[in-house]
Amino acid sequence: MRVEHLFNKSSHSWTVMGRDDDRRKEVIDTNQYLIQHNGRGLLLDPGGVESFSAVAAEFSKHIDLADVEAVFASHQDPDVISSLSLWIQTNPDLLVYVPKIWVNFITHYGVKIENIRPIPDEGGSITVGGHDLEVVPAHYLHSPGNFSLYDPKTKIFYSGDIGSAMLSDEYSDLFVGDFGEYTKSMEYFHRRWMPSNKAKTRWIAEVRKRDVEMLCPHHGAIFKGEDVEKFLAWFDNLDVGSALGSVS
Amino acid sequence: MSENIFNRKMGEEYDTVFRQCVSLNTELHKLVPLAKQMHLLSSNAVSSAARAGTEGDAFRVLTQDIQLLGDEVSHCISDTQKIIKEVVTLASDLARSFSSYITYLDLFNRLDTEAMKTSPKYFERGQKTVVDDIRDNNNKLSRSLGTLNTLLSPVATLVKKGEYLAVCSSVEAASAGEHGVSFEAVAAMLRELVGQLGTQSARQRSLLRDLSDAMEKQQQNQRNLMYAR
Repeated sequence: MRVEHLFNKSSHSWTVMGRDDDRRKEVIDTNQYLIQHNGRGLLLDPGGVESFSAVAAEFSKHIDLADVEAVFASHQDPDVISSLSLWIQTNPDLLVYVPKIWVNFITHYGVKIENIRPIPDEGGSITVGGHDLEVVPAHYLHSPGNFSLYDPKTKIFYSGDIGSAMLSDEYSDLFVGDFGEYTKSMEYFHRRWMPSNKAKTRWIAEVRKRDVEMLCPHHGAIFKGEDVEKFLAWFDNLDVGSALGSVS
Repeated sequence: MSENIFNRKMGEEYDTVFRQCVSLNTELHKLVPLAKQMHLLSSNAVSSAARAGTEGDAFRVLTQDIQLLGDEVSHCISDTQKIIKEVVTLASDLARSFSSYITYLDLFNRLDTEAMKTSPKYFERGQKTVVDDIRDNNNKLSRSLGTLNTLLSPVATLVKKGEYLAVCSSVEAASAGEHGVSFEAVAAMLRELVGQLGTQSARQRSLLRDLSDAMEKQQQNQRNLMYAR
């Protein structure tokens, strides 16, 4: 298990945990992020049922989890939020920000509608401890209702499944090393999971409007500094929606 | 026993309960054509009674009872199927809650109390919610199984009633002269249907016993794990 502060200054922090060696090998590894501002917390894509105990045990060292007031769900997948009912059992007042189109789907995870705060298609903002975070639309990348999240204070951009990679267990670094080599572990994921070139181009333009120092995906390593633009350029040149070629 | 083995064992027991619910439901489905045949038989009996004129008066009364018998079997099927659906949902909820309970045990094993900023009480609330759910669902399940038993018990009485009606129809047939042939045909068909109902009823009661035993075993295992800690 790797845990690091991506940012930690004047009552504002980003903490990431990932590379859980103890997970069952058939379960895909995920990164979980905790944002804290003025003692209040927001969890980003807290993971599946399988990772709840590891995530809760780890983040309980960094914050009193009773101060986590909300969860941001970039989209509806089980590796993203199937642990929701467990988080809500411990904190019945927890707010869950979720793409509007998935509201009636994620209730299948045992979440009550009172906890849900639907995010409209055009995005918006989420406030934690008085600090605003931008919710940036990323629809059809890969989910039809999908969002990224940008923190202007830290210049960290949480990209959800975009920028994700399927890494071997040997890859223990939290950050991307050799970018050229790294693309090998991203290519299939992006070509197969991302369906729309148009959506891709639009999202890249949205990211480029912002000053981004780190681009943090839900799976794989984090892009830092120049690697952020390298990733955007690589993604821009990639033809996605590969499964269409295998259908007659 | 390790938590993973316990979890798997609980999963297997839930599968057993689910399979038994499906078997019971399948057996109940077999009663549907039987109930329809009883309604058809009662229509035939009404026609036979009408053709017999005044000689069919007593038999006409019996035809109403045959129709009522068919109605009662139909109601019994639909009520029982509703409860079986409830049992499947409750068993499924229990399996899920139990899985959450195991997750909390795993979490408590992982907590580093010295390094924690979060009070263990925070997680105890979640675990308590799960334990309460398990207790509630177990109580509901016991009640549903009791209801199933209550719903299936009258089938044996319906069989007796059907047998009695068949005998009465035969008696009417013997004293109805030339119309007795069609009355006897109704009586024979009724005996046949009631015989099938009796066989099905015995099979269902046996399945219900198996289901109750499996649920009892699942609940006992849950209690053993929860109270052993």
